[in-house]
Amino acid sequence: MRNDRLLVALAVVAGVALIVLAVVYWVEPAKSLPSFIPGHEAGSGHHHVKHGIAAFFVGLACLVFAWFRTGPKRSATPPLT
Amino acid sequence: MILGALITYPQAIILGLLQGVSELFPVSSLGHSVILPRLLGWNIHQNDKYFITFLVATHLATAIVLFFFFWRDWVRILRGLGRSLRDRGIDPADTDAKLGWLLVVGTIPAGILGLLLEHPLRNVFASAKSAAFFLMLNGLLLFGAELLRRRAPQMDADDDARIARTVGWSGAFAVGAAQAIALIPGFSRSGATMGGGLLVGLSHKDAARFAFLLATPIIGAAALLKLPELFGHEGDGVRGQALVAALCSAVTAYLAVRFLMRFFETQTLTPFAIYCLAAGAACTVYFFS
Repeated sequence: MRNDRLLVALAVVAGVALIVLAVVYWVEPAKSLPSFIPGHEAGSGHHHVKHGIAAFFVGLACLVFAWFRTGPKRSATPPLT
Repeated sequence: MILGALITYPQAIILGLLQGVSELFPVSSLGHSVILPRLLGWNIHQNDKYFITFLVATHLATAIVLFFFFWRDWVRILRGLGRSLRDRGIDPADTDAKLGWLLVVGTIPAGILGLLLEHPLRNVFASAKSAAFFLMLNGLLLFGAELLRRRAPQMDADDDARIARTVGWSGAFAVGAAQAIALIPGFSRSGATMGGGLLVGLSHKDAARFAFLLATPIIGAAALLKLPELFGHEGDGVRGQALVAALCSAVTAYLAVRFLMRFFETQTLTPFAIYCLAAGAACTVYFFS
């Protein structure tokens, strides 16, 4: 149970962080990205739109995972593989 | 340079007809769109900006045809996704919801790999020579999938229920990720997903159905992402040709998906494997001679 909560917390944090990162990719040109973020290029005015889309969807997937994980527990019925 | 002469209307018609068929047949549409212009001596290259923009329209047409072909399935799947989100879980009996999430799980790796690898891979493997060689390998991949496929008992009468019960989360992820191989001209996206479907225990018909459902969001999203280029200055001189090609592509895509859904009720990937091996070998010899 404790591991489950930790997993959910991590998924929420990662999800929010990735969606914020996506917005940063869309708004900031490559030269203005922090140097530790993939895609940083000194002097480049290019916006990494695709990086932003990828980060957004992975972030969304993390939040959906957390949403399901915190849902009501189901009784054991014939499982779908 | 005269922009109007970049792609002629007859070329657009041929490329559109070819795209509709080869996108859905497991024979690599990208490979064919690289090899055919070279074989016919056309001055069209895969990495030319205008050609990529032109292909966007044909891809979008294919995705729209696929969406409407499986329209009723998509309505059920989307409702299933909605139900599962509302209930915060997937009811074991709700095969529409399970299939919907399998498609999401399969689309995420394909989408991310596509976004990150499309440009570098296109730059490295843009030549007709490499496309012909990889077309041969695509044939071997299809043969391999047939040899290694698992024969699972088929109990459910409903197609989607069978797919939802047979494909697991890891299977959907692996099949989805396998689509990324199609970023290399010569390898087929539908071949990779159908082959992957066979390996996780689907029948040929179900593997084809799963492959087409999985293809719709990824082809559509990739096309929509590049659609602004078609209406921007990169589309100058090819917009009319792109429209004609898209219409041709829509017609052949519809005929192709209808044909393939019937074909795979009784047939296997072997004929396509033989075609890819033979065509790839012939083109490789021709291009290197």
